[in-house]
Amino acid sequence: MRRFTLIAVPYLWLLALFLVPFLIVLKISLSDYALSIPPYAPTLDFSAGWQGIKDLLSKLDFENYVFLTEDALYWKAYLSSLKIALISTVLTLLVGYPIAYGMARAAPEWRPTLLMLVILPFWTSFLIRVYAWMGILASEGVLYQFLSFLGIVDEPLKILSTNTAVYIGIVYTYLPFMILPIYAALEKMDDSLIEAAEDLGCSRMSAFWLITIPLSKSGIIAGCFLVFIPTIGEFVIPSLLGGSDTLMIGKVLWEEFFSNRDWPVASAVAIILLLILVIPIVLFQRNQQLQREAEG
Amino acid sequence: MRRFSWFNATSLTLGFAFLYLPMVILVIYSFNASKLVTVWAGFSTKWYGELLQNEDFLDAAWVTIRVAFFSSVLATVLGTMAATVLVRAGRFMGRGLFSGMIYAPLVMPEVITGLSLLLLFIGIGLDRGVFTIVLAHTTFAMCYVSVVVSSRLVSFDKSLEEAALDLGCTPFQAFRLVTLPIIAPAVISGWLLAFTLSLDDLVIASFTTGPSATTLPIKIFSAVRLGVSPEINALSTIMISVVTVGVITASILSKRSAVAQQRDEQAAAQATG
Amino acid sequence: MNQKVFAPWDDPNQKPLIQFQNVTKKFGTFTAIDDLSLDIYEREFFALLGPSGCGKTTMMRMLAGFETPTSGTIRLSGQDLGQTAPNKRAVNMMFQSYALFPHLSVWENIAFGLKRESKDKDAIAARVEEMLRLTRLGKFAKRKPHQISGGQRQRVALARSLAKSPKLLLLDEPLGALDKKLREETQFELMDIQEKTGTTFVIVTHDQEEAMTVASRVAVMDEGRLVQVATPADIYEAPNSVYVADFIGDVNIIEGNATPDGDRVRIDWAEGQPAIWGTAQKPVASGERISFAIRPEKVTISKEKPEDRRNLLEGEVIDIAYLGNISTFHVKVGNGQIIKAQSANTRRLANRDITWEDRVWLTFTETAGVLLEG
Repeated sequence: MRRFTLIAVPYLWLLALFLVPFLIVLKISLSDYALSIPPYAPTLDFSAGWQGIKDLLSKLDFENYVFLTEDALYWKAYLSSLKIALISTVLTLLVGYPIAYGMARAAPEWRPTLLMLVILPFWTSFLIRVYAWMGILASEGVLYQFLSFLGIVDEPLKILSTNTAVYIGIVYTYLPFMILPIYAALEKMDDSLIEAAEDLGCSRMSAFWLITIPLSKSGIIAGCFLVFIPTIGEFVIPSLLGGSDTLMIGKVLWEEFFSNRDWPVASAVAIILLLILVIPIVLFQRNQQLQREAEG
Repeated sequence: MRRFSWFNATSLTLGFAFLYLPMVILVIYSFNASKLVTVWAGFSTKWYGELLQNEDFLDAAWVTIRVAFFSSVLATVLGTMAATVLVRAGRFMGRGLFSGMIYAPLVMPEVITGLSLLLLFIGIGLDRGVFTIVLAHTTFAMCYVSVVVSSRLVSFDKSLEEAALDLGCTPFQAFRLVTLPIIAPAVISGWLLAFTLSLDDLVIASFTTGPSATTLPIKIFSAVRLGVSPEINALSTIMISVVTVGVITASILSKRSAVAQQRDEQAAAQATG
Repeated sequence: MNQKVFAPWDDPNQKPLIQFQNVTKKFGTFTAIDDLSLDIYEREFFALLGPSGCGKTTMMRMLAGFETPTSGTIRLSGQDLGQTAPNKRAVNMMFQSYALFPHLSVWENIAFGLKRESKDKDAIAARVEEMLRLTRLGKFAKRKPHQISGGQRQRVALARSLAKSPKLLLLDEPLGALDKKLREETQFELMDIQEKTGTTFVIVTHDQEEAMTVASRVAVMDEGRLVQVATPADIYEAPNSVYVADFIGDVNIIEGNATPDGDRVRIDWAEGQPAIWGTAQKPVASGERISFAIRPEKVTISKEKPEDRRNLLEGEVIDIAYLGNISTFHVKVGNGQIIKAQSANTRRLANRDITWEDRVWLTFTETAGVLLEG
């Protein structure tokens, strides 16, 4: 009986507050926009019983999805989200790998402190960390003042409200997600492997490419997915740091819902976004699985 | 023998400068007397004073803390239950769906989670406010808690529980008296995580709240959308300080207990050797 | 000169392959190697033996190039190795952990060093095949390191380090991770491979039996110094110090005052006990404090008092360790000291007559033990 309660309570909670809402989104994405409250039709009429469900099903269609393919805004937003996510993942890897590598090579008594320093920003507000860059990147912001003090620039910067600012924001906020798995992979690597490679004729550089990089591959892959997946649906960074021409699907969905109040289209946008995310998520799961098997 | 090269030192220095400088700058500018970011007009704490007199912010902070408290407690209970189910309950109907529902919210974009919950609340005619935000936050935070707790449960030495059963405990007693105290650190960090996630959340709260309840992130977001504001700098500084002090205290405490444990073990080894 | 005995260290015309000349290595304030000089010759199987922390691993890492001496020089074929990087030395190392690259197959692991020399593909393939044959790994070429057994991994590590035909192969506790039975088999395999390839091997080990079995010469080390460098037989039969005698095999040490008498030495070791007679290897001063070391298997045990023996001790059997092929008797003699005596079990257990608490007689010849200082 206790076992039943133990399973049933979290199970029902998740059914009611995760699965059912998701099915509602799916249903509304197949409905039509209506100038009513709620702003879509048809609605489920429980009083009609089985007939009501049949009626409902017969009225659902893929009109919204067709609309998404016809309006260039949407597929451009999807493509642009993927592009931004991809570029910022690569940038994060380039910034994060040397840091993780440096941490793994630091003296053992320093590593817990370094690790804490990487994790600490996690606990501070995401919103504040993004906001911090607004003051720095603003046209006459801190960065401009610093650079003009050095005499490098003489006219206000044009970084804020561009995609560059979005990349900086993503690299900054998602950096720990990249560092941690790479560090974990590098840290447990046996030093004698590098010595063996050097003993067999490798220079330090080639030992790095032939041994260190391949052995941290699982960490690199995990880090990339951990950055790439959430970045696609990112909303806060493009809306604070991006400009009007920064097109990301999370922002489009938000505006579709709150500004245009077109719930069916917003729902369809969400469903397509999920379908796009399924591929990297499945690949990520596979990578984690392979890694566990290799370690077990 | 690890060789810590100049390259390593440089990349660590630059890396941590990149991670911390923006926040340091934010803190410095919160003491700027001028309203403009561009001009440093001397040291002043006036923005802190204005912040503390701003009723809206104080209300929002109170709402946020209440939401974070209730949702993190609920999420910890539900998440620990879910973790136990995942690791210990063995086979049952719909196990695949269950673990899917635990892991899916972790990768679900916040905009979709928020949208779907809002549509649910409208569908069943629930008045939106603190209560609906708590429900929403509990749902996604419990998944994080269950991941944290289940990773600890997986490495838990089952023979401890079996020893308790052998000594006459019921399974429930064994869990309460043996398992729970041992996994407590994981449960606590799960709770902390849930609390911070709730404090931090903008997107889901924006979808699931109503006119009656505005959380701090929503308030901050609407204030900074238009540009940098010195009051927000002051607020950010307070939030950063609280987190920094908290995390450093926690790490010192855990280090101390680790050192104490090590010392005890050494003393014990000497006593027996 | 006798060509059959391999003893280049006795031939003044031989040039050593490796020369340590007054090498000192310090880590901070800790001196790992203390002003050490040593010659190792071509085709030798040389063992560095000592407890952990004695500096043997540091010696090996200096040869491989992972550490450089604080002072002194190390020469390979007469040339100063100096600061030569590990990847530029004709020295290869087999690591204690094997350090097999987990992401590469057995074949790729063995080919790894060859590929660094930018040889052509066919030459590499031929050499890898040769190494696979030598170490009987042909069947496992395509497997990854985690898909083969510990013994096979050990052979991959050996093949990989031998593939480049180094002048010198270093083996760091090569058999440490194997169980006893496999270790014994592998020792002979190592000797066999060493002989076939003609490579000079330097092995580091803390296992004295292993060193005795495989090595042509053994260097016993303690606290960064060489205590004795000699063939296994000399180390065992003629240790130069109590430390070496005690470290290698089982030994009884009897301390006493020496009185020289011709080529014999009388040792008074306990009041009321008959003196012991030994043979001096070098002059001993009268009244010098001396240790007499004798191996248990050189002590004869009997129930009847033997006649005409100069070295004769009476005692009581305290303990018997039955090891199958031999038995070790712990005998308490007059002053309470325990002397160990071994006898081969040539008869079945039931036919043997010495048991616990028996009064017994211990004898040994005047040349059976060695006299050591201190």
